[in-house]
Amino acid sequence: MKHLLSAVAFLVPALLPGVPLLAEPNVWGIQVEQSEYRVGGDTDVAAWDLDAFYGNDELRFVYRSEGEYALEEESFETLENQFRLSTPISDFFDGVAGVRFDTASGPDRLHGVIGIHGLTRQWFEIDADLFVSDHPSVRFEVEYEGLITNRIILVPSIELDVPLVDDLALDRAAFSPKLEVGARLSYDVIDRLFSPYVGVHYERTFGQSANLVRAAGEDASAAFLVIGARMMF
Amino acid sequence: MSETTTFRAAMLGTGLALALMGSATAGEYNLTVDPVEIDTGAFSRSGVGFNGTSPGPVLRFREGEAVTINVTNNLDQNTSVHWHGLILPYQQDGVPKISYPGIAPGETFTYRFPITQSGTYWFHSHSGFQEPDGAYGAIVIEPKDREPFRHDREYVVQLADAHPHSGDRIMRNLKMMPDYYNRQQRTLLDFFDDAEEKGVDAALRDRGDWGDMRMMPTDVEDLQGFTPLINGKGPEQNWTGLFRPGERVRLRFINSSAMTYFDIRIPGLKLTVVQADGNNVQPVVVDEFRIAVAETYDVIVQPTENRAYTIYGESMGRTAFARGTLAPREGMAADVPELREPPLLTMGDMAGHAGMDHGSMDHAAMGHGSMPKGAMDHAAMGHGSMPKGAMDHAAMGHGSMPKGAMDHAAMGHGTMPKGEMDHAAMGHGSMPKGEMDHAAMGHGSVPKGAMDHAAMGHGSMPKDGMNHADPFYAPGSGLRPEAADGGRFLSYADLKAQKPLYEHRPATREIELKLTGNMERYIWSINGVKYADADPIRLTYGERVRFKFVNTTMMTHPMHLHGMWSILDNGSGKWNPVKHVISVAPATTVYMETEVDAPGQWAFHCHLSYHADSGMFRKVVVEGGPDTASAAASMKSGG
Amino acid sequence: MSTQTRLRACALALAIASVPSLALAAGDHAHGHGKGPDIGKPGEAADVSRTISITMHDNLYEPETLKIREGETVRFTIVNRGEFVHEFNIGTATMHAAHQAEMMGMMESGVLEPDRINHGKMDHGGHGMKHDDPNSVLLEPGQSGEIIWRFPDHATLEFACNVPGHYQSGMVGRIHLSH
Repeated sequence: MKHLLSAVAFLVPALLPGVPLLAEPNVWGIQVEQSEYRVGGDTDVAAWDLDAFYGNDELRFVYRSEGEYALEEESFETLENQFRLSTPISDFFDGVAGVRFDTASGPDRLHGVIGIHGLTRQWFEIDADLFVSDHPSVRFEVEYEGLITNRIILVPSIELDVPLVDDLALDRAAFSPKLEVGARLSYDVIDRLFSPYVGVHYERTFGQSANLVRAAGEDASAAFLVIGARMMF
Repeated sequence: MSETTTFRAAMLGTGLALALMGSATAGEYNLTVDPVEIDTGAFSRSGVGFNGTSPGPVLRFREGEAVTINVTNNLDQNTSVHWHGLILPYQQDGVPKISYPGIAPGETFTYRFPITQSGTYWFHSHSGFQEPDGAYGAIVIEPKDREPFRHDREYVVQLADAHPHSGDRIMRNLKMMPDYYNRQQRTLLDFFDDAEEKGVDAALRDRGDWGDMRMMPTDVEDLQGFTPLINGKGPEQNWTGLFRPGERVRLRFINSSAMTYFDIRIPGLKLTVVQADGNNVQPVVVDEFRIAVAETYDVIVQPTENRAYTIYGESMGRTAFARGTLAPREGMAADVPELREPPLLTMGDMAGHAGMDHGSMDHAAMGHGSMPKGAMDHAAMGHGSMPKGAMDHAAMGHGSMPKGAMDHAAMGHGTMPKGEMDHAAMGHGSMPKGEMDHAAMGHGSVPKGAMDHAAMGHGSMPKDGMNHADPFYAPGSGLRPEAADGGRFLSYADLKAQKPLYEHRPATREIELKLTGNMERYIWSINGVKYADADPIRLTYGERVRFKFVNTTMMTHPMHLHGMWSILDNGSGKWNPVKHVISVAPATTVYMETEVDAPGQWAFHCHLSYHADSGMFRKVVVEGGPDTASAAASMKSGG
Repeated sequence: MSTQTRLRACALALAIASVPSLALAAGDHAHGHGKGPDIGKPGEAADVSRTISITMHDNLYEPETLKIREGETVRFTIVNRGEFVHEFNIGTATMHAAHQAEMMGMMESGVLEPDRINHGKMDHGGHGMKHDDPNSVLLEPGQSGEIIWRFPDHATLEFACNVPGHYQSGMVGRIHLSH
């Protein structure tokens, strides 16, 4: 595992040479895809999903943070922080490499990240990541921005997370995926700066992972109504 | 004291007083670059201006004058001033890192150069996004000879697209989300309208075609949400120019926008275009014209009625309008027209991106997919003596060929005598007027008179039967402008130099510049290479270079070469107009020629601010020419 | 005389009497375009009271205005010192506007180029393609021409160049008619 991590660590500086970081002006941005309150399931959840980046056309440093905080239990169901380097590999796709720190309730995990991020034909935004560690997994996300009007936007999304190796401490069994499906309807109040939304969020764990989750006294599936805001600055 | 002494003392005193006054003597001008407040009527923001205001002052020079301009930087960042359209030594051109290092905060730089031209020009900062933030002004140069037109009064009409966001913020937003500012995108509701109009299948296919390319037909204006200004005043503030009925008024239109093209008209008045980019053109009377970013047009109008007229400038994407008034008295206003429907790009604007459907005969499968036009030898295949009309293009899958795609010369039909082509037999018989796109067929630059109407069977055409296409837009382009109230819309093809500046001679070589870009990453470039990664373009003093702009993007780019004239090739031979900005529409190829007669190094870039900054820029190095070492020494800045 | 003859004589007299009024109604036209305002007519060389020389430059005339006495016959010698084709045309503003449309047609069909007149093509089309009215001359750069014109008593006249764009650029001047 350590050498796998080092392999990924080598990839990162491999992206650096030949990049005129100083020659071009760097841009930065913060995109908060989700910051919401979820009602339903066992307990209400406060959740967020944001990307912050800094860099130029050739190389960008991206900080990605995702979290789900169960309010009643006062603990994090999910708390992931990724530090990634992103570079274009084609007109519409970037290659990414980095690390991910999981520090939610339960044992901490550290993974290396290799993946791609981009826009497919017909405007689907996808992320496909391989998390490299003692408990590797793959994650695939698809999102579509549907313009009902120029300000009212419906974003359906699907996320599939598949462990490749058992991680019993975290109730995860190999090849038993977790699926998250959402649909969020937002309204751009101020430019793209602040867009409140309402929506639904459904998550479900399948296969052996589901059994593990139920054995721990949790539900294997949950549905939520969500209310929150998208922000970009 | 004796009388002489008293007199001398008085003279000395007066001389001293004059010297101490601080005001510039004739030929000397002072500019300061300042932080300013900008109020457009729709919003207020802080920006950058000259001598305390945005727009800055109108600098008035005389042809033949030697000017000295002291520019003091009162900002806390580097600045620069570029004299757009002026021919001068390259060290005076005002582009940081190409002409000079720029002007540091607190510093004063003194420009010194001779004025060797006349007309309407402008000046602006060439640092960061100071220009979109308000750092622009006008230059009016009085000619030494009489102009080939008369007017009783004149006004500078300087257009801008002021935006509440600062230039830096706009660039950042565009890099984060290229359609950040586009509120005219195709929505679900539009889809329902389309489906109702042309059926669900067609509507779906349309969405699918654009989706396949990951491009939008609404991508006309990258930047929306701006308030158009005329001389610093928004539409509500209504800049007004006075006239006495019957007078000829000269309007010096300058487009000092960052990103916006305007379609200008004055309902009720004909516009006689007499200058383009500062140079006299043979006068052409139009009802409306499109002014690209950084271009200037001088027009003469003659309002005869004792009423107000609205100067109306619709942005090319129809998201906003600039508005001013010409009136006999202050405080008057005329009707302000409504904005027209926004244009949509078509597949015609998508050079090479659109998928090609070859029908049932699958050339690609046979390995013939990338056959150049003309390579297919019909005679060899036994199709040689096919009677006219027998070749069924549709059945071969050539049915939906865009106009102009069929290369007659390549097919061996090149030297067809006039009148030989039997349109009816080819099934083109009942073509509605306006359908035949002459420019697309390569007949665009036919000299006037060459077209033999009688031989084509058009002999008895009623007057106004011919609907001229604009060869500077792609066939079927969604951007081709039309005069709002009917009438004539100015085309580049209408511009002819009144007095050619150079002898007409063939170019010594051709340089192709593909205008390229990646909208998703908001990267704009030339030949696929950004400025930061590119070698300079090297030219030799004394040559005549023919630049071929090939626009592979779906945006219109106003290309600006500093220091030397751009002679637009619109088929007028020696009358080709002499300009400094050449606008290239999507999917078109435009040629311009430059007599390389200015030594040094020069900027060459798309004048859309956020395109130039993201890489659509080059340095041009002119090798050879008269020794400028001594010139450089004498140009050293004072103060 | 019989009644019939008297009637015929009356009718004839009436007919003859009405001719001048018909002529008056038709106007004193001096050009081939049919009825129109009185702008004068070609004059006789013997009646010429003076000669005015007109110089045509690129898009302007010297002199810029003319002072003519009503009924005067003037000889104009016109020379084109510009680099472009110019016209010297005597008429009303309305006539000039119409003529501009005709000359635009001449440019579009190739009869007229900015610095040349293609006489060969002039016989090509119908009305409007020729340029041989007595109240105007169309001259190439360097060419000279002459008009002898008898001015009317009352009229609001201009002399103008109707090559596309020239009138609007200021190539037009008032003709001040005085007693």
